[in-house]
Amino acid sequence: MAEETKNIIDADLDEVVEVEVEKERFLTFHSDELTFAVNTKYVIEILTNHAITTLPMVPDYIKGIINMRGQIIPIVDIRSRLGKMPVDYGDNNCIIVLEIDSISLGILVDSVSQVVDSELSKISPVPVNKQQELVNGMISLDANNVVLLLDCEQLVNEQMMM
Amino acid sequence: MDNGTDSMLDMYLFETNSLMEQLDELLIEAEKVEEFSTDDVNEIFRIMHTIKGSSAMMEFGSLNQIAHHIEDLFFYIRENGMDAIAPELKKSLFNLMFKSTDMLRSEIEKVENNEPLLENVDNIVGEINSFLNKISDAEDTSPASQPETAATPETPSVAELNMELAHCPDDDAPFFIKLLFEEGCGMENLRAFMLITSMQDLNIDFRFYPADIETNSDTCQDIVDHGFFLAVEQEEHIEKMIHVITDASHIQSYEVIENARLKKEEAAAEPQTQQPEAPAPTAEVSSTASESASESAPAKPAANARAHSGPVKQSLISVNLSKLDALVAIVGEIVITESMVTSSPDIQGLKLDNFMKSTRQLRKLTKDLQDIAMSLRMVPVSGVFQKMNRIVRDMKQKLNKDVRLTIIGEDTEVDKSIVDNIGDPIMHIVRNSMDHGVEDSPEERVAAGKSPQAEIILSATHTGSEVIIKVEDDGRGMNPQAILAKAARNGLLTKPESEYTKKEILSLLLLPGFSTNEEVTEYSGRGVGMDVVKRNVESVGGTVTISSELGQGSCTTLKIPLTMAIVDGMEIAVGSSIFTVPIANIRQSIKVSNEDVVYDAEGNEIVKCLDEFYPIIRVHQLYNIDTEITSIEDGILIWVEASDTSYCLFVDELLGEQQVVVKPLPSYLNSFNIKNSGISGCTIMGDGNISIILDILKLYEMAQY
Repeated sequence: MAEETKNIIDADLDEVVEVEVEKERFLTFHSDELTFAVNTKYVIEILTNHAITTLPMVPDYIKGIINMRGQIIPIVDIRSRLGKMPVDYGDNNCIIVLEIDSISLGILVDSVSQVVDSELSKISPVPVNKQQELVNGMISLDANNVVLLLDCEQLVNEQMMM
Repeated sequence: MDNGTDSMLDMYLFETNSLMEQLDELLIEAEKVEEFSTDDVNEIFRIMHTIKGSSAMMEFGSLNQIAHHIEDLFFYIRENGMDAIAPELKKSLFNLMFKSTDMLRSEIEKVENNEPLLENVDNIVGEINSFLNKISDAEDTSPASQPETAATPETPSVAELNMELAHCPDDDAPFFIKLLFEEGCGMENLRAFMLITSMQDLNIDFRFYPADIETNSDTCQDIVDHGFFLAVEQEEHIEKMIHVITDASHIQSYEVIENARLKKEEAAAEPQTQQPEAPAPTAEVSSTASESASESAPAKPAANARAHSGPVKQSLISVNLSKLDALVAIVGEIVITESMVTSSPDIQGLKLDNFMKSTRQLRKLTKDLQDIAMSLRMVPVSGVFQKMNRIVRDMKQKLNKDVRLTIIGEDTEVDKSIVDNIGDPIMHIVRNSMDHGVEDSPEERVAAGKSPQAEIILSATHTGSEVIIKVEDDGRGMNPQAILAKAARNGLLTKPESEYTKKEILSLLLLPGFSTNEEVTEYSGRGVGMDVVKRNVESVGGTVTISSELGQGSCTTLKIPLTMAIVDGMEIAVGSSIFTVPIANIRQSIKVSNEDVVYDAEGNEIVKCLDEFYPIIRVHQLYNIDTEITSIEDGILIWVEASDTSYCLFVDELLGEQQVVVKPLPSYLNSFNIKNSGISGCTIMGDGNISIILDILKLYEMAQY
């Protein structure tokens, strides 16, 4: 299943160039019952069952580092990052490798689901009283399917300030 | 487009900086004999000329102005010879030169840091001009103003471009070489000038058009539109020149054109011989070529000397360091992949003769490749050492001490990143030696039975995997008691004074907050002391030791690894994690029984090795790693040492020794202070897994909290 998704996404990533300006493409993934979307322009690759080397002396949500073809990439567990119950993924994990402002970063998620096109106008801001960390918008795909837009800049930038 | 200016700026800075270094070296050498040789004068003239030209191109007004006026000054000296300068003025000439090079350097630094340049450089320009007036007395007006006025008259001839000859300039040479630069490479006139400079080494007669490329930045467009022309007198020279052209970068195409006009007007050729002198820039604008080409030009001795004095061109290219880093990283990967392939579990136990033969070949080649890749990053330390000449010179004057700097082994090569990091420490140590080490007066030295002139020896030597840099002086040495008393006053002592050995006392100098001199002087002791030296050297994996005999001098030794990119490491396992400890830090690994372990008052474990007690740090406790091996008897102790810290690491087991390629941790993790948690980097092992490289010193510091 995961392998299939990967192929689909790889194929889709190639076409991303042709997407018109007002439409953007998003990769959706699940983490603890929530569905998130991340702009495909940030997505480099999706890895499954990759061995993660744990690092000592870092916050819980830094799962460790991985070796992606000689490149060392840090891994952030989205669950722990959002303060949800951590789950032991074992070797059965799913990592989305992102590149944000030339910083490479992997996010550990439950599963990857699909790539969707959405017009920028369809992205609505998060209601003020429901602000959540790492979310900077919501996209409603159909009547009862709303995804949260992952705030990639926040993901990398708040680290700088800490 | 932004990118284009950036690389232009990079190139400008690189060129200008290397010219400034050349100049500095030259000045220091020349000052020793208190004389500029003809070669020196020409060389300074050439350097200033290039800086002037390229600064004007980049619109750095202040640099252009200063260089311009120094050029004028040296134009005068070149014309009249050093003898024209009264001996008493020579000293001030040197001081003036040092002052103006400092000025240039600080302006270049501003360019590097993207700071605004000085609007007004009248100060230094005035000084140079008044000096020029002084040496030239009455005839001062002409040389100073000549370069500008001379540059103008040749434009009309360029206008007479002959369309049939593809814009060939008006010249009677039988052959032309037409050059086109790559589109958008920028600074075409400067590139053309650089080409000309390298051709002048060939000692060939030729002229070039547009002739004022050096002074007139408008020619840039001209070259882009019509091309750049070289006029050659003799056919056999063309090949040599083409050789130079093909070696140059950013040349799009070149063609050799026979002068058709010349054939038609053979009769008219005779009177034209006088003409080349007109379009060519006048003497001082580096037109050696046109001077020697046309016999009619007055042969100046200076110009002749110049043909021989051109700097020896090395076949060097400058490469962006990040490209080299990428190359080294990839080569490192190849080395690892090679061992992954050859020791693949799939082929274990199979008898594959041909395969083994090929893999041996492959291993040898990858090893060679690795050696070459590593050597690319190696640069001689001479650059750093030469700077010390200048510091010693300046301090000699300021402090009024007679000191001789002897440099040994400046060709020793170390990794580029290390060279960048040791400049400041060495400078600091040399300043310390000058300021505190060397006696205040020659009389004091004579009284101590030494020669009146003090000596500072700066040396670099190779030993296997390390470079040893020593700064020795034969000054008054350090007084251990004074150091101890000072340390006690500053509250740096951790045990009774009587228990300190001499070595320990001297190492107190390296502690933060220690500065031997009570007064702060201009050169050393600004509150930051040897501790900064120590920190800098340790940041490149080196160590600092000081030895000193009271009354006989001191010696500071820096031991620095040749490279930081590859280390010999010991792989160790703790639970499911794998760590690498640099072999250089390991003294011994020991199995101990429970009885060997003693506890201090706070319950910390201590073990005795070779009659000394060392604390035990359990890696699994420190890093919170789950492991089944918690009893001292099941695991193993590694006795490690880094600079002056020594302790034992408790780990599960040793996995074996391996050469590893050090990779930095992702910058994203820097915000978690990972550098201070005892991790210096990581490495990818043969099976693709990651091993974390431990920083023995930092790990100990962290364990103390």
